[in-house]
Amino acid sequence: MTENEFDMLWQRAEAEGYGKRLAAEYPLWRQKRRRAVSMVTALLIVVTVAMSLFTTQLRQSRDYEKVYCNRVGTTDAQWASLAAEMLLE
Amino acid sequence: MKRLIIFLMLLLPIVAMAQSGLYKTYASRQNLTVAQVSGFKLSESQRVDVVIIVADDDATWKQLAKELNIKGEAGSVSWLGDVDKPVQRVKWSSAPVLRVVASPARRTIAFYRINTEAQYDALLDYQLNNMNQAK
Repeated sequence: MTENEFDMLWQRAEAEGYGKRLAAEYPLWRQKRRRAVSMVTALLIVVTVAMSLFTTQLRQSRDYEKVYCNRVGTTDAQWASLAAEMLLE
Repeated sequence: MKRLIIFLMLLLPIVAMAQSGLYKTYASRQNLTVAQVSGFKLSESQRVDVVIIVADDDATWKQLAKELNIKGEAGSVSWLGDVDKPVQRVKWSSAPVLRVVASPARRTIAFYRINTEAQYDALLDYQLNNMNQAK
């Protein structure tokens, strides 16, 4: 049974009031599905934390955190360098 | 796909919020290149946001200089400006201020937003240290 088929069956079962029976008949399937969802969630959390740590370290090691510009053509580092130069004008 | 679009739509206002009012004011104007350097490092513990405006041609620079009451063509001009109205020169207080540095030769103006006394001190230290190194 595919995930879509199970979803449809599950929704129908919920609507018709025999969700508990269905859950009892497919305990392994539900368990497997829950495990997969948990694993994906955990993976997402790990990736997000790792990325935030990496970007924080990267930001702290640079002379600037973020650059916004209304035009293309100049690099972020060049803008930071100009900000430094202007202070010494 | 739908979820990605919703996520991007939520992300867009967050990016817009990170841009200062000063940046937004000038970024939409013609013949001006505007950049915002967020978290420009002054010292290990102090960072400030900087908005830099570069006029693409002399006519645009003259207009900008007129608006900000910048006189003279040589050297550089600097002052402490009001956060909401940078043309207005103010004295240092604990309230947020802008350190404005204008260079007519470069047709460039830089606005350093100072929110605290520590940032103000760090900015002065930065100038002092780097000028000494340059000599």
